[in-house]
Amino acid sequence: MSRKSSILLFALSILLFTGASFGGSKFFNSHPTLWKNPDILIWSLDKEPVIDPKEFCLSLKRANSGIGDPKCRLQGEWMRDSIAIRYATWLNANMDPALKPEYLKARHPAMQAKIQALEDQIVLYIATNGNNVNIALFDETASEPKAAGSILLSPDKISMGDEIADMFFDGTAKRRLSKEERKKKMTEPDEYFQEVPVFKMWAGIGMGYSQAQIPLTPDDWYSSHVNSQVGNYRITKDSVSLWNFLDDSDPYFTLYVGGTWYDFIGLELTYHYAKHHMKTDPEDTVYQELDHWNFSQHEIGLSAMFSRNYRPLTWLDITPFLFVGFQYSFFVEDIALKDGVKNPSKAYKARIKFEEAYKGALVGFGSHFIFLKHYGIGLRTGISSRGRNMYVDPSPDAAAESSVIGGFTPDWFIGVGLEYHLSLF
Amino acid sequence: MGCGHNYHWSKSHPLYKKAPYGKLAVAGSSEAFVLTRSSWFAKKLGWNPDSIQLKATAFCEQVFLDELRRAYPNYVKIPDQNFNHFPEESQRLDERIFMKGRLPEQGVVVKDSAGDIPPYILILHEFIVGTDLKRETYFDYALIHNEMTDKKTSTHISAIISYTLWDNERQRPLFSAVDEVQRPITKPTPEDLEALVRSAVKQIRINLYGGVS
Repeated sequence: MSRKSSILLFALSILLFTGASFGGSKFFNSHPTLWKNPDILIWSLDKEPVIDPKEFCLSLKRANSGIGDPKCRLQGEWMRDSIAIRYATWLNANMDPALKPEYLKARHPAMQAKIQALEDQIVLYIATNGNNVNIALFDETASEPKAAGSILLSPDKISMGDEIADMFFDGTAKRRLSKEERKKKMTEPDEYFQEVPVFKMWAGIGMGYSQAQIPLTPDDWYSSHVNSQVGNYRITKDSVSLWNFLDDSDPYFTLYVGGTWYDFIGLELTYHYAKHHMKTDPEDTVYQELDHWNFSQHEIGLSAMFSRNYRPLTWLDITPFLFVGFQYSFFVEDIALKDGVKNPSKAYKARIKFEEAYKGALVGFGSHFIFLKHYGIGLRTGISSRGRNMYVDPSPDAAAESSVIGGFTPDWFIGVGLEYHLSLF
Repeated sequence: MGCGHNYHWSKSHPLYKKAPYGKLAVAGSSEAFVLTRSSWFAKKLGWNPDSIQLKATAFCEQVFLDELRRAYPNYVKIPDQNFNHFPEESQRLDERIFMKGRLPEQGVVVKDSAGDIPPYILILHEFIVGTDLKRETYFDYALIHNEMTDKKTSTHISAIISYTLWDNERQRPLFSAVDEVQRPITKPTPEDLEALVRSAVKQIRINLYGGVS
């Protein structure tokens, strides 16, 4: 065989192959709902339908494994009805790849009524037109075909059925609703137009991480505080920030409850716990007696929230929010000497004491992601502070008074929480 | 008027490829003609006010059919009993323009008096004759309930024509349109009325050619 003729043969076989696999052409397909265990009514314009209902059911099962157990029968009523026959004849003469479905609409009111009465059944219209077979799908939702196409006529009913099944029935099949479910669904208000509850509330438990440095701000704002160490139980370069004494980057745990009115304005009460180590100078020998020295940070805050609710999907609510509030902070000391140390040093007894309580502000933003109206994940980030009012009235012995320890201690936090949401009214 | 709305006064079927040539059937003309301001016309034309409606519409219909016969040598008129039993339906030309008229049923061919099946039928839905008519006021659903001021003087006699070119073989509307024709007048005569109908037919023929997609 010469090289030329082998190339020709190859080209010819490709042509044949593509011709065979693209023998049918889809005019349009708006993917009507395909039900599991569907009822397919075959509406044939020809006396002898070009496919066999039983064989077509098997073709459907072969083409779509998720379709379940289809039932196929001839749509006898429409095949005998003169109005339906007129429309079927008309459709056969008018189907064309250039036409949108609206040009194939059934105009006769009786025909429209027939289509609307289908109730979950799919009508498969089949009509031979010369060497082709015109195919269209109808369901109850429109008086025009939902899908249409044509395939080449062949005497093999099974292969015709396979081709039709591959063309139009390859989607995912949905479970059919029972009579009660259908009735309920009819009376159910549209998900997107349901009334918004007046008040929604939530409770959550979460954890996160906080540090002195606020992201995107320069290191040198913090380095003097963060790198500072405590000598001789009380000596630091500066005592305005608690981060001079305590480790700043630590995980925290939180509990919170909150509520919003009209998905817009709300209040949230938070409890926040973290444990910080004292930054004792390792070179200072006075600490040899010390087993551990930590502070537990307890904070109770109340913030106002401004939020907005979005519902991109019926099972998902996204509620971004801003919050601003105040908090009280308490640092509880936990200190112990090593076993066997009977008499602590003088420095230990005169060690630094923090204020009993600090107050501060918190501001930030975040979002609730609420699944199925109840189960939420909350993300938030913000800045919080703890301190004392540094601008007290000057007293006569002001010069002698030491400055307030931890007078200004801000930090940045980021956290995630698991939430339960409910709406009361 | 129309608040700057850009109207589409006609609609072509995507498969309207060839305008009718030489051969055309007409249906619906016997109930399409309407004369507005009939007392004014009666006074100006000197016709009896009691029979002006019948006389003028019959006159206009005759001119209309004669003019079509001149334009299409193989012209036939569909007998009323073969056509007037079809129900009225509305067709949308534009988001604000809806025209109403009888259309044959899908799958049913319309026959002429000889029993033949003409390929094209010009279905005349409405032919409104009057003075200074604007088609917006009749066919824009947002304006049809507006009351018009009654004018004492008229500068034009006018006609508004709604029609559909029907593909009788495949039972589909090939071209649907609402046309407006104006003719300046000083003192109306029957010749003016005749000329108005003639120019309406001319306008229809131009549009049938122009509507081919």
